[in-house]
Parts: sequence; structure tokens; C-alpha cells
Amino acid sequence: MSTIVLKTLFIKEIRRFSKVWLQTVLSPLVTTSLYFLVFGVALGSRLREISGVPYIQFVVPGLVMMTMIRDSFLNTSSSLFQSKINGTITDILVAPIGAFEMLLAYVGAAMIRAIIVGTLVYLVALTFTWFPLHHIGWTVFFTIFVTATLAMLGIVAALWAERFDHLAIFPNFVLLPLAFLGGVFYSIDLLPEPWNTISRFNPGGRAGFVLGASRSHQRVAAQWLQLAKLVIMGGQA
Amino acid sequence: MKPPVLRCRHVTKRYGKFTALEDLSLEVYEGEIFALLGPNGAGKSTLIHCITGLAKQTKGSIEVLGFDTRRDFRTTRRLVGLVPQEINYDPFFTPLESLMIQMGLMGVEPSRERAEGLLKTFALDEKRDAYTRTLSGGMKRRLLVAKSLVHDPRLLFLDEPTAGVDVELRQELWQEVEQLRAAGTTIVLTTHYIEEAEQLADRVGILHKGELLLVESRESLLERHGGRALEDIYLELIRKADGRHVA
Repeated sequence: MSTIVLKTLFIKEIRRFSKVWLQTVLSPLVTTSLYFLVFGVALGSRLREISGVPYIQFVVPGLVMMTMIRDSFLNTSSSLFQSKINGTITDILVAPIGAFEMLLAYVGAAMIRAIIVGTLVYLVALTFTWFPLHHIGWTVFFTIFVTATLAMLGIVAALWAERFDHLAIFPNFVLLPLAFLGGVFYSIDLLPEPWNTISRFNPGGRAGFVLGASRSHQRVAAQWLQLAKLVIMGGQA
Repeated sequence: MKPPVLRCRHVTKRYGKFTALEDLSLEVYEGEIFALLGPNGAGKSTLIHCITGLAKQTKGSIEVLGFDTRRDFRTTRRLVGLVPQEINYDPFFTPLESLMIQMGLMGVEPSRERAEGLLKTFALDEKRDAYTRTLSGGMKRRLLVAKSLVHDPRLLFLDEPTAGVDVELRQELWQEVEQLRAAGTTIVLTTHYIEEAEQLADRVGILHKGELLLVESRESLLERHGGRALEDIYLELIRKADGRHVA
């Protein structure tokens, strides 16, 4: 493994999104702040507690995770797709670097962007409501797990896409509906059957549960951990 | 004769049912300029892609200085430079940054001094901090050549570097190619301007429909055909091959 090549590609990807920080960092921060203002402050003050917590606190974990999901996906997909379109992918394909190192660099940089933006969104949330992290270990685990997974999905999307609108399919028609229907803005406990059970298997919104404080969140977390164990055991078998 | 820098043995490349290269064997020797000629779709770029890592041959082996391009790809890619056919640039970075990044990507510790030296050599030093998209077409082409040289490759591929380039820049590029050869770099170039191959190349290969029709030194080729222009010889060979293919 060439550390110079890996380091260069990783830093290049970080510098790429840093150069357009208005779009990559500030824009999601503003969008999420608007969510907090509208759903948390304006509407939230008129809503009762959900799953034992005030509504504005309830939306925090989902919004943080939704931001990280979107940014980790967008970073790899847009970077790789633009390289494909403008031909600079050639520079990387002729470099003495293996596929695994390429993956590490792209995914690593996307995770950094997602974690930076996610942390900033969390800090913005703290200006609206107090929201302590109850499970640091699980928070770190799921942050890494989710951002790495979505970054890899972004790579798949970029490799598959042939036009810009192809690239928009996943965030607009998959990620956003899954996040909205997955309980970011409401508790899935409020849903009637079969939507309640179906929603528990929606990874889009549920990924934020471990950041949450409510009992409902913890219960769904336990179910997902069981599922993750099964997947890992299946992979080993 | 000097040892081969590049050795292709029975290389075949297929894309589905389409055969882009058929059982191609070729050797390129140290310090020479080898011109690969052929009509559009002959397989010139495919061959270059197989050697540089942009594509994988279906059959056969390719060696650069004795290293297999698939098994020892980390070594061979450090030995090879490529100026691609299409102009490409990263809009996020300046020429100076692009060169520094390219050094790192090619496994060389990025050096500002070396990058600035290359910018000067290719008359891009005044644009070192400009956004690459603001450079003229000629400047972008020169930046591509500079990028291909950041790691001092032993073997340089120039894939139609003068396509769509004005006469002045073409002359400049060929002067640079001569200087690189003088410095010991082995060069493989593809071009549609056959008179350029006639002027520059030590040896010529003619590729047609994925098959290598001929490999010969320029001098002996011209001598064998009674001093006729290379363009005439090329056309005659291509037409003859087309007749054979039609039959």
C-alpha cells in the first residue's frame, strides 16, 4: 500500500469539498437550522411530548443523522461522477493505487465531511434545545457505520450514473422519502399496523435513534443491532 | 539493440463481442520515439489504455521494463506517464495545485519547487494560481503534458496530443517531445498527422482494426518504398488491409 498516494487522494477529496464550503458545509447547516426553526420552534411549541421527550428534542437525532447520511452520499457520488464527466478520473486510474486504497480515501473524506456537518448541525441544535448524548459508544459506532455505508453507496451510484439526473435519483427518491417516512419528525409508535412494523425496518430515519434520548429510540436500536448481528454472522458464514 | 522498455505479447482486448485488439505483439526500445498510426477505431487508444491501467487486456501480457502491468501494477504505473487524448482538468484546483496533487498520486512526495519548475518549463508560471478552467485550450494541453511528467516516467504515452491544436502549439509540443527524448525518455505517440510521425519517429507501427499491420523503422520503411511519403505508404497499407478484411 502506498501511503503517499492514499494520503494525497484523501487530502485532495477533503480540499475539494473545503473549497466549496458554502455549498458543502454552510448550505446543509442553513437547511437544517430551518427545519429546527419550523418543526422544532414554530410547530414544536404547539405539539405535545413525543415518546416522553419534548418535540424539539425528538427531531434532533433524526436531523443530525439525516444530514450525515445525505452529505456522506453526496460527497463520494458528486466527486467521482464529476471526475468521470470531466475526465480527471484518468489521473487516478493510472496512479499506482489499488481499489481498496481508492475506496479508503473516498470513503474517509466523505465521512470527514459528514461528521463535520453533523457536528455543526448538533451544535446548532444545542442553541435551540439542550440535548445531551446518552450513548457515546453507540453514537460513534453508528456515525461511522452509517456514513461509511452511505459513502460507499455514493461510489456505486457514481459508477452507475451516466447523467446528472441519474445521480439525483438516490438522494431524492430513496434517501429523502426513507428519512421522512422513517420517523425523523414523528414517532413511529404513533403509526397503526402494518406501517408501524414496516417503519421499524426503514433504515432512513431510524439511523438516528441511538443519538436519541427516548425509550422508543432505544427499543428500535436494539432491534437494529440484532439485525446487524445477523447480517455480520451471515457474511462470516 | 537496447532492451525493450515495453513488451506486449499476444495482447487481445474484447468489449463483449467487439474485438478492439487481436493477438498484438510489440516491443518498444529505450530512448526511441515510436509512432503508432492507424485510422479512428484502429485500437491505438485501447492499447495505450491496457498498458497504462485504464483497461485490462482480455488475453496476453504486457511488461514495462520487465514488470507485468497487472501483477506489478504499482511499479509499472510509476514508470509510465500518459497524456490522454481528451483535455481534462479539475475545476477545483489551480495548475500549481494540480501538479502537486499529481505528484502525490503518482507516489512522489509533492514538491512545490518541482511543480514550479514544470510550470516554468511549460510557460504556465504566470497562471500558476489561476483556476484551471480559465486557461486557454493550449495552456490546458501543456498542463496535461506537465502532469504526465511529474514522476519522471521512463515511458511516456502521448495519445493524439496535437488533435485540435493550432500550428504554433503543435510545433511547441513536438519541440518538447524532442527534448524529452534527448533526456532519455522513451515515447510512444499516436497521431493523425502522419507527416509529424515522419519527422519525429524512429520507428512506426500501423494498427488497423485491432491488428498490427506493420512495425518498421522509419528509415527502412521509406527506403523500401522508394522514398515515397509515409502518408502514401500508410494509405496503401490500410486500403490493402481493408480489401483483405472485406474478402
